[in-house]
Amino acid sequence: MKDFSREGQSLRLRLSTYEAAILTSMVEQVAGLLEGDAPLGGDDPFARWQAELAPPVELDFSDPVIARLFPEAYPSDQSASDEFRRLTLAGQRQQRLDDAAVVLEALRGANGRRLTIASGQAEAWLKTLTAVRLSLAIRLEIDTEDDARQAARFGPDDPRSFVFQVYEWLAYLSEGILGLLG
Amino acid sequence: MSIAEPSSVVLDRPDGAWLEQAPWATVVWNDPVNLMSYVTHVFASYFGYPRAKAEKLMMQVHTQGRAVVSSGAREKMESDVDAMHSYGLWATMEKQ
Repeated sequence: MKDFSREGQSLRLRLSTYEAAILTSMVEQVAGLLEGDAPLGGDDPFARWQAELAPPVELDFSDPVIARLFPEAYPSDQSASDEFRRLTLAGQRQQRLDDAAVVLEALRGANGRRLTIASGQAEAWLKTLTAVRLSLAIRLEIDTEDDARQAARFGPDDPRSFVFQVYEWLAYLSEGILGLLG
Repeated sequence: MSIAEPSSVVLDRPDGAWLEQAPWATVVWNDPVNLMSYVTHVFASYFGYPRAKAEKLMMQVHTQGRAVVSSGAREKMESDVDAMHSYGLWATMEKQ
């Protein structure tokens, strides 16, 4: 059976339970980073309400993942870059969280090993998979195409080799979804 | 016959004001992470470029390190750069 197929307007993905768990954890990590790891209040409705009212936690731009997800728009003009960020950051951050939520919901609703993506949600998937890959690339120190070739040669005992396999597998998922979109 | 004085209107024009009208560009930079198929998809789906143009721009990013993917008024380019960032592409503003 193929890993990717189309059914009417929907895309079908086949993931093992293990793959679904890894993807969930990866997406949760990026979402946590975007939330500034703010406490979400858990199950207590009052605590949740309080958390919602609290001002959003500032993102830490010294974190290279955050810096890569929100690049400087004006590389030679700091004040213009700051102004651009002031205008776009909140919307962009929320959109990324919404996209991540779409992916996490589909993963939770996976029927056995089959997962359905409405075609209108394909962009949210592609963007989220990309955000996870960008964050893994930082961890793998992939800055150039040469670095990427180096990463492919990590030995099996190198802990980074597992991260690289996940990174490559996410690329495979993106390619599969893109292939269905035609 | 005297030579006409330069127009005070011209002399008093604020520095660079006309430059504000000059078109800006959205530049996308190469990175080793984004897939070629994905970058093509972004250019085709966000800008509505035909597949051939989207592929050509993607190849330009890939082989030359960068490509101007759109140009126009500053505000429009800022929204294009914002959109490219939302796709995870590394994009910057540039004055043409």
